Amino acid sequence: MSGLTFRIKRTEPAIMMVIALTLLIIIIGFFVNERFGTIRNFLNLFEQMAPLGFLALGQTFAVLVGGIDLSIGAVVTASNVLLAGTVSGNDAMMMPALILVLAFGAAFGFMNGWITVATGVHPLIVTLGTASVLQGLVLLYTLQPTGSVPFWFEEFAYGRVFGFPISGFVMLLCFLAVGLFLKYSQTGRAVYAVGGNPEAARLNGIRNNRITILAYAASGFFAALAGAYFVSRTGVGDPRVGDPYTLASITPVIVGGCLLGGGRGRITGVLLGVFMISLLNNLLNYINISTFIQWVIQGLIIIIAVAVYVDRRKKP
Amino acid sequence: MTTFGSTIAERSPGLVDVTVQKWALPAIFCGLLIFATVISPSFLSVSNFQNVMTQAAPLMIVVIGQTFVILVRGLDLSVASLMATVAVIATAFNTQDNTMIPVIFISAILLCTIVGFINGWLVTKRNVSPFLATLAMMIVLQGLRFYYTQGAPAGVLPEGFRHLGTGKYLGIPANIIACILLFVFLTFVLEKTVFGRKIFIVGGNPTSADLVGINSHNVTITCYIICSIMAGIAGLLLVGFVGTVDNFVGRGYELDSIVAAVIGGVALSGGKGKLLGAILGALILVVLFNIVIIVGLPVQAQLVIKGVIIIGAAAFFARKTRG
Repeated sequence: MSGLTFRIKRTEPAIMMVIALTLLIIIIGFFVNERFGTIRNFLNLFEQMAPLGFLALGQTFAVLVGGIDLSIGAVVTASNVLLAGTVSGNDAMMMPALILVLAFGAAFGFMNGWITVATGVHPLIVTLGTASVLQGLVLLYTLQPTGSVPFWFEEFAYGRVFGFPISGFVMLLCFLAVGLFLKYSQTGRAVYAVGGNPEAARLNGIRNNRITILAYAASGFFAALAGAYFVSRTGVGDPRVGDPYTLASITPVIVGGCLLGGGRGRITGVLLGVFMISLLNNLLNYINISTFIQWVIQGLIIIIAVAVYVDRRKKP
Repeated sequence: MTTFGSTIAERSPGLVDVTVQKWALPAIFCGLLIFATVISPSFLSVSNFQNVMTQAAPLMIVVIGQTFVILVRGLDLSVASLMATVAVIATAFNTQDNTMIPVIFISAILLCTIVGFINGWLVTKRNVSPFLATLAMMIVLQGLRFYYTQGAPAGVLPEGFRHLGTGKYLGIPANIIACILLFVFLTFVLEKTVFGRKIFIVGGNPTSADLVGINSHNVTITCYIICSIMAGIAGLLLVGFVGTVDNFVGRGYELDSIVAAVIGGVALSGGKGKLLGAILGALILVVLFNIVIIVGLPVQAQLVIKGVIIIGAAAFFARKTRG
């Protein structure tokens, strides 16, 4: 018993709050619509939250090293168009193209990180700039949806194994891998160290620049993964698909308790954040609230989340 | 308070650096003008110049406000959303009657003051990072606006706004006159008044500002309010220029204004920068966009150029401050 209370006390307040809010949403959902509480709906939810999960994972890396990645939307779009464009119906090209696209995402993130480190410019400005360049290039390449992928690739977005969605499974696997990596590997711990106190990390023999660049590369990689997911969902490359996702990727990270200054935050929290945001949108759809009010609610959630967490942490 | 760009170690730059920094912007601007004229002689015509100025005015006004916020170590992403919201307010009465202008003006300024106050309050009293506070404000405003207009805003403007947005006096566009007046007034506030000095002190080091008895919270909140009001005025001018309202009046201005300020040498780490530089930054941006079109490049190329310039300018100033 005492062990239990100890663990609850140690758990970050952010995670407790997200769990409480999630439970609240679920309870409201049960009363509002009988279809909300079905297994079917929850499985659908897992399918739909996959891209947000990938993006939030990537953003978490950038936030943990004390930065932010505003190029996520552009990378999603670029990898999306690149994948559909290079494959364009050619079955044999599918796997090479997928690898190419994921490598492209990682390379682009690598470049973001390198520019940030080399120039000392704030990542906000750097990623904004590279995003603008990339989005411009994509739009120079095409202005309307283009390309196509083989039918079987749609399994990534719509496929089910024993009733459980493949995309949701891949997402959980990614979360597990990243969570273990951050918690137990030396590099993963260095990510926290660099974000928490760069000077101390440097004095402890951590190569800050390498860790920062690695974090941005991871962010780009996951953005490219989400881009590939969108191809498999719609079957084409859309030059505007990533637009809303730059900002959307930040919300679950913040709600999940990551500190924008860097060095604080847990993968569990981010996963719960993703789950909560998706659940909330799901519920709001069931009770027929207009998209516009959903935006208002999303904005208010960010405000409430940051206003509550940050204040708590500054006091001690 | 979360700081932006705090990793840059500040050191006083040498004489050469100061000279370079002082004259780089005007030099680049003149270079651009010459380049544009060489490519297309019609660039320097009076009518094109008036055009460029008319287009630049709203952006320059937003940049003035943005500079105030950046000076106190913040940034405001909600300006574009606020511009569109003000534009919706301007057409909400759906009348061409000029007598409604004061009502529209007062309600717009009132809304801006409230928005600016909430931004500033979140940043100071609740310790929220400016990025997130204003981002959330942007989303909230957007949601409220879409809800009110149901996604399809309609309505006409009072005639007077059209005059303000497109009219000319003695060949000078009316909105540029408004912009210059605001610029002169706020430069005076920033450079010559006690409040202006306080802004620089708070931006330079909030803790020491508090220690010498400056209420850094109040100064910061006031800066956010100034920024929001500037955005509101720019929104009114822009809707007057466009003539019709849609849900995205001023779209992209939040980033463009930050970019212009950065080009103009306003340090994101706070406490350093001039309004004149920021204004020049905005002009450079607008002239560049104009050149893209003159050269005959697709409009999308603007995005590429903008991105390269952001990073280049930011890197240039980061280097200079590092010495």
